[in-house]
Amino acid sequence: MPGGGKLSGPGGDERAGALARRALGCALLAGLFGIAPAGGELAQASATLNVYDEGHLHYVRSSGNQLIDEGHASGTVPGTVVVRFTYNGSPTVYADFTIYARAGTISGHANGRLSNPTSASPSSRGALTLSGGGGHYAHAHGSGELFGVFYRRSYAMTVQTRGALAY
Amino acid sequence: MRPGAEQPAPRRGPGRRALAVVTVCALALGPAAPAWAEQTATLTASFQPERLGAPTAVTFGFAIASPDGAVPPPLDAVDIRYPAGLGLATTGLGVASCEAARLERSGAGACPADSRMGSGDALLRFAIGPQVFEEHASLALVAGPSPDGYLHVLIAATGTRPVAARVVMSTLLGEGALQIAVPAVPSLPEGPDVAIVSVRATLGGALTYYERTHGHTVAYRPRGVGLPARCPHGGFPFSASFTFADGSHASARTSVRCPRRR
Repeated sequence: MPGGGKLSGPGGDERAGALARRALGCALLAGLFGIAPAGGELAQASATLNVYDEGHLHYVRSSGNQLIDEGHASGTVPGTVVVRFTYNGSPTVYADFTIYARAGTISGHANGRLSNPTSASPSSRGALTLSGGGGHYAHAHGSGELFGVFYRRSYAMTVQTRGALAY
Repeated sequence: MRPGAEQPAPRRGPGRRALAVVTVCALALGPAAPAWAEQTATLTASFQPERLGAPTAVTFGFAIASPDGAVPPPLDAVDIRYPAGLGLATTGLGVASCEAARLERSGAGACPADSRMGSGDALLRFAIGPQVFEEHASLALVAGPSPDGYLHVLIAATGTRPVAARVVMSTLLGEGALQIAVPAVPSLPEGPDVAIVSVRATLGGALTYYERTHGHTVAYRPRGVGLPARCPHGGFPFSASFTFADGSHASARTSVRCPRRR
């Protein structure tokens, strides 16, 4: 091969070009999924998944305006979900959640606007951010949407998440 | 309070003393007279049962007094601040709503049972000439429609004697605050508006709701207001500010002591 292993030869230029194209492709993918890892994080994000999960949660306990629900989630990342839901009277509701999957945990938070709060089952829709995790998902990050229905009789919830997960 | 009313009187000669007496009397009887009617407010709050981390019924009360025992001016608005962590919004109360017009026309009995959130009573006063009349009103707290994503509680006050009337007050339940707008309540034709002297209202308590389960209607007790699992140092703080129709203000605060650990 002309130039052997030298990066300065014609073969080296080709390799450098391929690396640059690959880096550009990764950057475009990251941009497409709304993920903006900085520096070394790009190397750690070894996979990106389009996630759609649905969870049916039951009431566990509460403290004032905070409810804690948990239940099974099925979909792209199945497991047990624990949600800490905060509703203080303003139309914006907050949720912190952790998914306990087989390969590790994924944590995140969401906020959404509650519609029809005086109905028996108000619903909410809002933005979701994945902020970390453990095990296989130790570097989990991403964003998406969260839809939820809150059953005021039983304090149970149904949640649906849709988004991109990089880990 | 009149400006300077609490200042010590300086030593003066007899003529100046007489002038001072006349001035003090003029201040007392003249333009400063409305200041005598400045009112004070007291606030009470309690939980039943008092168990941290458990649902409860919250009772608020307030009383307005004028220093000289006169009828206080009518209330325009009341802003009650409650502990931010209190689960007034996460309660299972008010899973249906009632229109204000329907409530005003026919009373809480015409509203869905699942819209009832609590009850209470109020004492009202108004003066016709030198005579002061009192009226007792029953209160019904009902969930109103939510056009803006906030929770709205309607308070219907119904009195029968000496004036048969029902008024509906609109309440906005926000983050840590209950804002009550009080409409003008006429007493008799061309008489003064009615003044609210005291109110006691409970959110929660013995309410019965209904749900459809497997084709049957089943009665149940709705979950009350969630008490936080931890009590803040000094107890759960409540405060209220009152705005009167004559532009004056009053405020009051209280706290519910921390429940004993079981």
